[in-house]
Parts: sequence; C-alpha cells; structure tokens
Amino acid sequence: MDPLPLARLQFATTTSIHFLFVLVTLGLVTLLVYLQTTSFVTRKPVYERMVRFWGTIYLINYVLGIATGIVMEFQFGLNWSGLSRYTGNVFGAPIALETLLAFFLESTLLGMWIFGWHRLRRGVHLALLYGVAITAYLSAFFIMAANAWLQHPVGYEVRDGVAHLTDFTALLTNPTFTMALGHVTSAAVLTGGMVLAGISAWLMLRRSPDYELLRKSLWIGLVTVTIAGVPLMGFGFAQFGAVGEVQPTKFGDDAAKAQAVADFTARFGPGDYLPPAYANASLGFMILIGFTLAWAFVMLPLFYRDWIVRLKFPLVIVGLSLPLPFVAAILGWLTREGGRQPWAAYGLLKVDDAVSPISGGVMLASFLGFTALLLTLAVTNWVLIAKRAARGAADPALGRSLADVTAEDDDERRPEPALAR
Amino acid sequence: MELAWYATLGLVFAGYLVLGGYDYGVGLLLSGIRDDGQRRAALTAVGPFFLGNEVWLVASLGILFGAFPRLEGELLSGYYPAVVAALVGVLLVTVGVQLRGRPAEPAARARWDRVVVAGSALAALGWGALFGGLLQGLPLDASGHVAGIGHLATPFVAATAITLVTLVAVQGATFLLLRMPKGQAADRARLVRRLVPVALGAVALATLLGSLSADVRAAVHPGALVPLLLLVFALLAARLLAERRPGWAFVASSLALVAPVLLVGLGRYPAALVSTVDPAATLTVAEAAAAPATLRLLAWVAVPFVPVLIGFQAMSWWVFRGRIDGKAPVYW
Repeated sequence: MDPLPLARLQFATTTSIHFLFVLVTLGLVTLLVYLQTTSFVTRKPVYERMVRFWGTIYLINYVLGIATGIVMEFQFGLNWSGLSRYTGNVFGAPIALETLLAFFLESTLLGMWIFGWHRLRRGVHLALLYGVAITAYLSAFFIMAANAWLQHPVGYEVRDGVAHLTDFTALLTNPTFTMALGHVTSAAVLTGGMVLAGISAWLMLRRSPDYELLRKSLWIGLVTVTIAGVPLMGFGFAQFGAVGEVQPTKFGDDAAKAQAVADFTARFGPGDYLPPAYANASLGFMILIGFTLAWAFVMLPLFYRDWIVRLKFPLVIVGLSLPLPFVAAILGWLTREGGRQPWAAYGLLKVDDAVSPISGGVMLASFLGFTALLLTLAVTNWVLIAKRAARGAADPALGRSLADVTAEDDDERRPEPALAR
Repeated sequence: MELAWYATLGLVFAGYLVLGGYDYGVGLLLSGIRDDGQRRAALTAVGPFFLGNEVWLVASLGILFGAFPRLEGELLSGYYPAVVAALVGVLLVTVGVQLRGRPAEPAARARWDRVVVAGSALAALGWGALFGGLLQGLPLDASGHVAGIGHLATPFVAATAITLVTLVAVQGATFLLLRMPKGQAADRARLVRRLVPVALGAVALATLLGSLSADVRAAVHPGALVPLLLLVFALLAARLLAERRPGWAFVASSLALVAPVLLVGLGRYPAALVSTVDPAATLTVAEAAAAPATLRLLAWVAVPFVPVLIGFQAMSWWVFRGRIDGKAPVYW
C-alpha cells in the first residue's frame, strides 16, 4: 500500500480537527479578555458570572486544541521526515519559536489563571488572561508564518541539497502570510462570537435560568459576528491577487497556469501539477457561508424590546447557524492546502519526496488509530461542552475549592457563586 | 553552538521528564485509590502545574525541530512505534485529567480516571522504549532511512520501558508525599519506600540485558556509567529521605529522571543516532544540527526569552507552593 495518500489524509484529518478547536480557543479568549476587563472595571457580578461560565466552555475546548496540537507537532517528524530533512533549517525556525515563545507561556499562564481564582489579586488574575490571549495570537502568528512559507518559500537558498535560512524577515513579510493571518484571526473572533450567540440562543429556547447573562452573551456574540465579518471578508478577497501571483496553479488564469506547469515540468520532470478539483469547489461554498453569516447584523435591531426573544424564530436561526463558521473554516483550509498540491513546499519539494519512508501498513495503522482516537475525543469534547452549557450558568466549574466539592454533592445546583474573596 | 543547543534540548526534555514524570506518576497511582474524592485530591495536588508541565515536551519538540531538523525526522520516524505509544499516552493523560472533572456522575469520572491511568502507563512505556532504542541504535542506512520497525522488539527495550514506568511511579509518590496533607505523610512515605526497590530491580534488569546486548555495548561508551550510578544513588536517596525530608526525596527522585537523559546524551556522544548496520551512517550531533544561520536566529530569541519562560513557571510554583488543603482551588 502506498503510504503517501494515507499520510496526506492523516495530516488533513488531524489539522482539520485541530483547527476546529483552535478557532474557538482564539475567539473565546478574545471575548473573555473583554468580559473579564469589563468585570474588573465595572465590578458588575453578571460579567464575573459570564467569565466563569464561558471560561469553563473555553477550557473544555482548549483541551482538544492542545491534544491535537501535540499530534500535529509530532506528525512532521513521524510522517514527513523528508520535509524536516530538506526544509527544516527554515521551516523549523517558526515552529520552534512558536513552541518556546507562545505555547509554553500560554499554557503556564492558563494554569495559573484556572487555579488563581481564590488566590491571586484581581489585577494579577486579569493580567494572566491578557498574557494567555497575547500568546495565543503569537501562536497563530508563528504557525501561519510557517504555513505561509510552505505556500510560498522565501528567505532561503538551497545549498548542499537542503534549504538554508538567509532572511527571516522575508518569512514575516511573505504575501501569503500577512493577509492569511488577518483572515484566520478574524475568522476565529467571528467563531467565538458565534459560539456565544449560538449557545445563548439554545439556552434561551430551553428557558435556562439567568436571563440577564444569556441576553448579554447573545448581544455580545452577534455584535462580534457582525464586526468580525468585515475584516474577515476583506482579508479573504484580498488574498486572490497576492496568492494568484505566487501560486499560479491555485488562483492564476489559464495562461499563468499553463506557464507554471511548463516550468515545473522542466525543473521536476513530467507530472500532474494542477490542484484537485475539490480545492476550488470548497472555496465557492466557503464564500457562500461567509455571505450568509454577514446577515448577522439583521439580528441586532431585534434586541429592541427583546423582539429577538419574543419572536423565538430568530433564536432558532442563530442556534442553527452555530456550525457554519466551522464548516467554512475547513472548506477554506481545503482550498489553501489542497490548492497547492502536489507540493509540500510550493515549487520546492513535492509531497512524494517529503513523506517518511514508512511502510504502508504502519502508516495505515497510524492513520486509522489516530483518526479514531481524535474523532472520539473530539465528539466526546463537544458532548461535554453541550452538557456543561445545558447545565446553565449557575454552576461554573471555575473558582471552586476542594472543600466546596467534597462538602456538597456535585450534582446539586448551587446558587450564584460567591465572588472570589 | 550545536553542543549548546544539544545540551538545551537535553535540559528541556529532562525538565519534561521530571515535571511530566509526576503527572504520569500520580496518574499511575490513581489506580490504587478507591475513593473518588481522594483521586480528585491527588489530581488537585498536581492541579495548577499540570498545563505548565506538558509544555516542556512541546518545547523540546520545538527545539528538536528548529535546531535539529534532520534528527527530528529520523528519530521520530525511526522509532515510530515507541514515539506513537508515548504520544497516545500523553494525549490520553492530557484529555483525561482535564475532562475528568466535567461530568457530574462519579461513574463517568471513574472512567476518565482509568483513561488517565492507561495513558500514564503508555506514555512512560513509550518514552522508556525510546530511551532503550536510542541506547541500542537503529538500522540506519547511509541515505538516512530506517528499514522497518522490528529493531525495537528486543528484551533490552522492554526492560527500559518498564524501568521508566517504575521511575515515574516513584516520582509521583514523592510528589504526593510533598503535596498531600501532612496527616497522610506516613502512608505516602511507606509507598515511596516500597516502590524504590522495584525501580532498582528494573534498573538492574535493564543494565544486565544491556550489557548482554552487543548492539548496546557497541553504541554506548563507558562514560555512561556515571549517569547510571547517579540513577541508583538518587533512587536510594529518595528511599532514605522519604520519612524525614519529603522535599529532598522529591529532588532525589527528580534526579533519577534526569539520569536517563544524561545516559542517552553523554553515553553516546558525539553520536545523536547510532546506526547498527553501517558505522558510517551514524548521525553525529554536528551533522544533525540545523545550519549555523538558523541556530543563531534561535539563540537570539532563546537567550533573552528562556529566563522569562522559566520565570513564569517559577511564579506558578511559588504561588501554589505548599501542601494542599480544603481551600486549594479545584478544577480537574
């Protein structure tokens, strides 16, 4: 059995699952920063309840973000040792910087944030969340720089058969990097807003208690979706020109495509240098979803006299829209990654040469095993998020002490949690 | 420069073994705790540090990828089964610990705890097998490819895998000795004293099997004896100090987890990967390293920032120091 398609499929599934959780992590942490800052400034209890409720959902989601992220990190070495060997000098640098500068701090600070509810001063506790958010964005920055380099290798030269780094700043001004970073982060913020709005809408339909919290969350969520949609589309459409120039086989016109194919054939021998058809189809569907979500602003006037709640059907629409940003994100990545096939690093290294010399059987076992494991974990995670959300805002897991948990039965719904300290 | 980065890599991975070691050790020891509340208390002892411990693994992987890209590719794909076992174990522990507190029903929490136990065992077995595999070398050919995965199926690798499980269990036991309420200290110390002889037995078995294996004798030079002795003395010290000085017992069992990294690093230096089929194909640290320009870039970033990273970790250790009590924040 040929290991290459299996390795590619494994990369696609792992990355897709990873990204679904990353989107929510980035989006929710942004909104949590807003909520906790407001709570800090206004001292209104509703904001503290919101931080604890949405914070719990954020943390459940974060678990799979890390778990799949670790798999991603290992996967380069396990399945794509040719990529490390040939491009590691350049591609490895942003990955290493991400782990050291961003992820390391993010997790350390988050651990302190989770357990710091009763121990730390409010200002310190808020600062920790700012640290978590900044490092989360820094992660996105370095990972997108690494991905952009694979899309369009820059700042390197090939010596002794491997790529060498010559100019790191070129990686950060890469035309496939800047616009895509803006696109991805706005998508994350929009998804965070959609999660707030969607879950609040469902909870309101179920007549969950704490109406004040849910209505506020719904409002903040829908405003976020409306605002984030603008840069999302701007950065999205802006990519056509930039990417078309450096990746003619993805977005170029027919003449550019033919010329690129002729050029690749001359340098790498004959082969299929055109991307698969699904890459363009998924692009179309993604744009369609984007335009659908842009209608979120229609919901905002309905908050006048709470029509959005009284009419009920707007809540159903918001609730049903919850999966849309996730679907769009996967479609977008299919276009970005599928559209550059057959290249692992565009115009430099083909996927055939990047894959590890592993036997097909081992690769199949690894693919089936990891896919089954990650899918199970992902579904379990979503079920836990749904169950936690359905229990409502009255019993957040954050900010309890050992005495609280042992003194009371866990099932017992407790009233408003006491403020920390 | 390569040597400095190789040492950093070793240091960070040793940091992971010490810190992640007590995560997995406590995870393993959960299997012996019947009561849900007590299991939760044990995990609360790990609590605030858990997320900060695992990042050491990710950081060592980042350094491996950034500073030793060639080693990364050949190491991970050459020891595929060991790395995958460790990876699945790490994954199960990560997910199990963080999600076990979310379901309201004790039965569901008990299921997650079994996931944590299995994951801890698998992670320790996987890393132990990787150490064993590194010490006996692998069939690396001149083009840098490794044929097959059967080279890992030796008694020596099995022994090192089991050894690491026992070391990690000792580490978990000394950690709980240090963190759990004072009233339980006598029981905890007894557990440490019982686990140390098991670990010593496993070390002895692995040493014996290693000295019988021609591959291991060829790959490892006598300098490896120093870390091996360190390992034995650290374990003995952990046993002796368990009663009176829990802090020092924890330091000793931590040293016992640093020793394997030293063994692998010093015992084979300058080789990073030893080939059993073609001595010319052996990958040295210098060959495995990234180009000087990349190493310089990484050093420019690492030198100012690593103190910051360690500083934040130290802040977390300081804020949550001491034994846990009823006021300890719970999340897991």
